[in-house]
Amino acid sequence: MAVDARDSVTKQRMVRVWAQAIFSPFQSVTSKATGAGAGFINRIVNFSSTADENERLQLRVAELDLELKHAREAKAENERLHGILGLKEKTGYEVVPARVIARDSTVWFNTITVDRGSSVGIKLNMPVVTGGGIVGRVISLSPWTAQVMLLTDEKAAAGAVVGQLGESGALGSIRGNGEGGLVEMKYVSGLQEVEVGDYVMTTGQDGIYPPGLNVGEVVQVKHGTATQPHQILIRPGAQLDQLQEVAVLLYEPPQRPAPNQTLPNVEKEKK
Amino acid sequence: MPQLKIALVLGLAILLQLSLLSLPGIWTPVSYIDLPLIVVVYIALQREAWQALLVGTIAGISIDATSGGLLGAGGFSKTLTAYVIYYAATRVNLENALLRIPVLAAATALDSAIYVFWHRSLGYAPQVPFVQTTSYRLIATTVVGTVAFYLLDSYLTQQGSQRRQFATRRRVARRATGSLRRR
Repeated sequence: MAVDARDSVTKQRMVRVWAQAIFSPFQSVTSKATGAGAGFINRIVNFSSTADENERLQLRVAELDLELKHAREAKAENERLHGILGLKEKTGYEVVPARVIARDSTVWFNTITVDRGSSVGIKLNMPVVTGGGIVGRVISLSPWTAQVMLLTDEKAAAGAVVGQLGESGALGSIRGNGEGGLVEMKYVSGLQEVEVGDYVMTTGQDGIYPPGLNVGEVVQVKHGTATQPHQILIRPGAQLDQLQEVAVLLYEPPQRPAPNQTLPNVEKEKK
Repeated sequence: MPQLKIALVLGLAILLQLSLLSLPGIWTPVSYIDLPLIVVVYIALQREAWQALLVGTIAGISIDATSGGLLGAGGFSKTLTAYVIYYAATRVNLENALLRIPVLAAATALDSAIYVFWHRSLGYAPQVPFVQTTSYRLIATTVVGTVAFYLLDSYLTQQGSQRRQFATRRRVARRATGSLRRR
């Protein structure tokens, strides 16, 4: 009868209710302890697989790092190439993109070799540029390669103006001085206003570079006088020590009329 | 020393100099190594005058042809350097491996000096400071050259192969004596 006694409300057997009430705390504790123990054992069992997973994830992180690096390089290259291709619209001349494949084989001179040559229409003395500014000119050619003398070479020169062509009178000639990757601007009248930070453009008077191309930025000025020209140092806009891609402008300067070589006296006699 | 082997080594040195060591992004100290000069000095030390002069001329002109400098200046400097080394080697015994280190260093300095002298004389000054660049070239070429000389010794000269044979024989002889002593 006692075993069969039931709760008056829920009609459950009282034995069951009491038994559940008494054993449930023990069950709870045991369950927690077992759970923790099982978890601990599981961790020990899974330790080797965790180590494997860790290794795998580390490899994946390294792979992703590499991919990120490649993506950044590709982005930078893309920007450079975009700049080079934009030169065609900017300058209005045909452009041949080229990759730098070698620097000078001796350490004494500033030349580079690019992977495009006369087979794509490149000729001697054609200007080489990047999106940042002028790089130099072609000094020797093969059908597939061209050697370029950089602007920093002592033999390199270009006509240039500080400021905008047509607005500024600070005309001069730039030459490489072979020191610290800077170029020197000569013959700028001491009466012209030149300040550090001014930009320098080509004038097109040298018969090599078309007018209006960026040369670089003035980094040092030793002011001249009415009789002494300024001494100006310019940092080239094209990063000449990190060149990877360049563009050769298929620019041929306008032909100048041949100088009159007849002697005035001879002319007189003829008359 | 067979001429074909020399030609191969020289060709390889020139090829490496023009491709690997002239790469745009290469680690700067590596670009100061002058591999053809190492081969020129090595051949000059073998006391074969014509061979040394020919190797010097070919090495120099090959490099000149691809550089922005004057064509022939490198050929002249390497030929003269080869002759000077040959001349010294015929009068002083430079067979010692240790002695070859200062010889290589001196050859690098001499080659640089002649090369720059010609350019300056003809109004075409190099674009980099002479003393600094010569020092870097001297260090890089001497370090690499010292190792390269051992490799060239092993694979080019008969002396090298004889030395290797004798070394093996000596080793065998030593082992034999050692085992006898133990008995």
